[in-house]
Amino acid sequence: METKSTISRRALLGAGATVAGAAVFAAGRETSPASASRPGAYPLYGEHQPGIVTPVQNNLHFSAFDLRTSSRAEVISLLQKWTEAAERMMAGQPAGETGAIDGHPNLPPDDTGEALDLSTSNLTITFGFGPGFFTKKLGIAGQRPEALEPLPRFPLDQLVAADSGGDICVQACADDPQVAVHAIRNLTRIGFGTVAARWSQLGYGRSSSTTRSQVTPRNLMGFKDGTNNIRADDTELLDEHVWVGSDDGTAWLAGGSYLITRRANITVELWDRQKLRDQEAFIGRTKGEGGPLSGGKEFDKVQLSARRDGALAIPEDAHIRVVSPEKHRGARMLRRGYNFTNGNSDIGHLDAGLFFIGFVRDPRTNFIPVQLAMVRDDGLMEYIRFTSSAIFAAPPGISRGEYVGQSIFEA
Amino acid sequence: MKHTTWIAAATLGLTVALSGCSAEEPKRAPAEVEGPAPLTKAERSTLDAAVADYEGWVKGELDELVTKTAAFTAAVKAGDDDAARQVYPVARTHWERVETIAAEFGDLDPAIDAREAGLSKGEPWTGWHRLEKDLWPARADDYTRLDMGERIKLADKLLADTKTINEQSNDLKLTATDIVEGSQALLEEVAGGKVTGEEEYWSRTDLWDFQANLDGAVKGFEEIEDVVEGRDAALASKIDRQFADVQKLLDAQRDGAGFVTYDRLTKDEIKAMSTAVDALGESLAELSKVIG
Repeated sequence: METKSTISRRALLGAGATVAGAAVFAAGRETSPASASRPGAYPLYGEHQPGIVTPVQNNLHFSAFDLRTSSRAEVISLLQKWTEAAERMMAGQPAGETGAIDGHPNLPPDDTGEALDLSTSNLTITFGFGPGFFTKKLGIAGQRPEALEPLPRFPLDQLVAADSGGDICVQACADDPQVAVHAIRNLTRIGFGTVAARWSQLGYGRSSSTTRSQVTPRNLMGFKDGTNNIRADDTELLDEHVWVGSDDGTAWLAGGSYLITRRANITVELWDRQKLRDQEAFIGRTKGEGGPLSGGKEFDKVQLSARRDGALAIPEDAHIRVVSPEKHRGARMLRRGYNFTNGNSDIGHLDAGLFFIGFVRDPRTNFIPVQLAMVRDDGLMEYIRFTSSAIFAAPPGISRGEYVGQSIFEA
Repeated sequence: MKHTTWIAAATLGLTVALSGCSAEEPKRAPAEVEGPAPLTKAERSTLDAAVADYEGWVKGELDELVTKTAAFTAAVKAGDDDAARQVYPVARTHWERVETIAAEFGDLDPAIDAREAGLSKGEPWTGWHRLEKDLWPARADDYTRLDMGERIKLADKLLADTKTINEQSNDLKLTATDIVEGSQALLEEVAGGKVTGEEEYWSRTDLWDFQANLDGAVKGFEEIEDVVEGRDAALASKIDRQFADVQKLLDAQRDGAGFVTYDRLTKDEIKAMSTAVDALGESLAELSKVIG
C-alpha cells in the first residue's frame, strides 16, 4: 500500500520522463521480480540522485577526489563528461562512445573493458561535493552551504588524513563488485588532469537496507544492522530527515542531501571473545532475531525505559539507546554503509570494519550530535576506531541534458 | 618493467628499418571508426623535416652517450668511485632521453639496462645497474663488492654494447608515428619506473632519469607540435600545459646540477608527480588520434 502511494505521489509530482529511481524500482519490482537473467538497471535521471534510496546493492566502490585545476570551464567539462559516462555505464554500456573493443586500433580504448559481458548489476553512481570544492577561483565560493563544513574531530578519532576528506566524491554501488570498480576506474581515468584520486574504499555485504523487502543484513560484529533505517517509501521521513528542503538556505541543494562517510575499524578479534550476553548488551538487541532487549521481534518498537530485574533492559551504554532518535530530538539519518576488509593489519589482525555512509538533511542536527554521543557514551567504542571521515553535498537529481552539479554553477 | 616496455614498444609497431622488425598494422576496427585524416602535402613536408631533425637529435644523444659512458667506465676501471658516481646519472641521461627508440635496436637493451629485480635466477647481469649496485651498495644485504677483474669486464662490455647501439643508429629510419609513440612510451617509462623509484634502486638518482625521459618526450612532441596544433589546437595546448606542470614539479627538486635523491621525496611530492604524469600520459595517448 505504501509502495503504491509512493508511485502515485511521484507520478503526480509530474517528473515526466524523469522518474525517480526509487519509483522505477518499486514499479519494476511489482511486475518483474529481480532475477539473474534480467538484472536491473537504474536511470541516472530523476528528482533525486540514484544510489541514495535505491535498494542497497551488495557492493561498493567509493572514491574521493582532489581538484587539480582552478578552471571553472575544465571542472564543468569534467562534470559533463562524467554525467555522460555515468549514464552510459548505468545502462550497461561502455564508459566512452566507442567502448573497449570497437575503437580505432591505434588508440587506447575509451572503456577499460572489465565490465564487458557483465550485467548492469543495478549499478548506481552518486556524486557529491566537499567543502573544498566551493572556491573563489571556480566562482562558486558563495554556493557553499553553511552546513557543509569539514566534520569536527571527534574524541577517539584516529583519522588518516590521506584517507579523509576530498573535494568530490563518487559512490558506485552494484551487485557485482567488478561493475562498481569498473565505474570508478573509468571515471577516474576521465578525470586525470582535472581531479586526482585521493582515497577510495571497497565495501561488500551491504550493512543496511533501504527497502522493506530487503532482509536486514549483518555487519562484521554479526548483528543485523540498520533495522530502523529510513526506507525508500518513508516519504515523509525522507523529506524531514534526508532531502534538503527548498527553504533550508541553499536553493541549489534542494532535493539533494549531505553525504557523510566514516570508516569504523572494528577490532573483530577482541569483539569475538566477548560473551554472547555482553555482545547483545553492547548493541541492545539479540544477535539472532535482532529484537530489542526490551522484548519482541526485530521490528517491534524499542522501549528504552523498559526494565528487567530492576535494571534497564537496554543498558545505558547500549548502541541503540545512545544513537536512538528519542535521544536526539527525533533526528534520523538514512544509512547506506558497507562492511569492508582490507587484508590484515601489521599485527596479523583483520583490517576490517564498517564503512558508514549516511545521508542527512542537515549534518548539524542529524549527524554530528549523534556521532558525538556515540563516541562519548557508546560501549561499542571499546571495539571501534574511526580512521576516515568525510562530508559532501550530494546535489539533487538531474534531467536529461543537464550535468551533475549543474545547479551549483547556475545558482 | 624494462621487458614490458620493450614488448609494448614492439607491439606499437615502431618501424625501425634495421632488423626488419616493422609490423603490419592490424585492421581490426570496424569501417565506421575513423583514424586520423590523411596528411596534406604541407603537413607531410613539415613532418618529413621533423623526422629528419628528430633522427639527428637521437644520433646526437647516442654520440654523447658513448662519450659519457667512456668517462664512466674509465672511472670504474680506475677504481675512482667518486668520479664514477658523479658521471653515472649524467651519462644515463643520454640513454634515458632516447631509450624507447634505442631499445629497439637489436637485443642489447637487456645487456645495457637490465635491473636485478627483472632477471630470472641464474641469468647473467651486466650493464649500468650492475655497476650501480657496486657503486651504491648501501641498500644491499650481504653484498660482496666486485673485484677489479669483474669490474673491468663489465665496464668494457657496457662501453662496447653502447658503441654497437650507436653504430646501429646510423641506419635509423623513423616515421612521425614513431616519434609520437616514442614520446608516449617515454612517459610510460616515467609512470612505471621513475615516479615509483624502481629504476635507480641503488643510486636513488631516479629524478635524473625522469627528467631525461621527459626531455625525450618533449623533444618528440615539439617536432610534431605544428601539425598537432593545426589539427587539434586544444589538445596541443593541453599537452604543452601538462608538460609544464610536470617540469615545474621536477624543478622544485633540483639540487646543484642535478636533483635530490629519490629517498628525499615526500609521499605527497611523489603523488603530485604521479598525478601530473597520469594527466600528461592520457593526453599523449590522444595524439594517435591526430597523427596515426
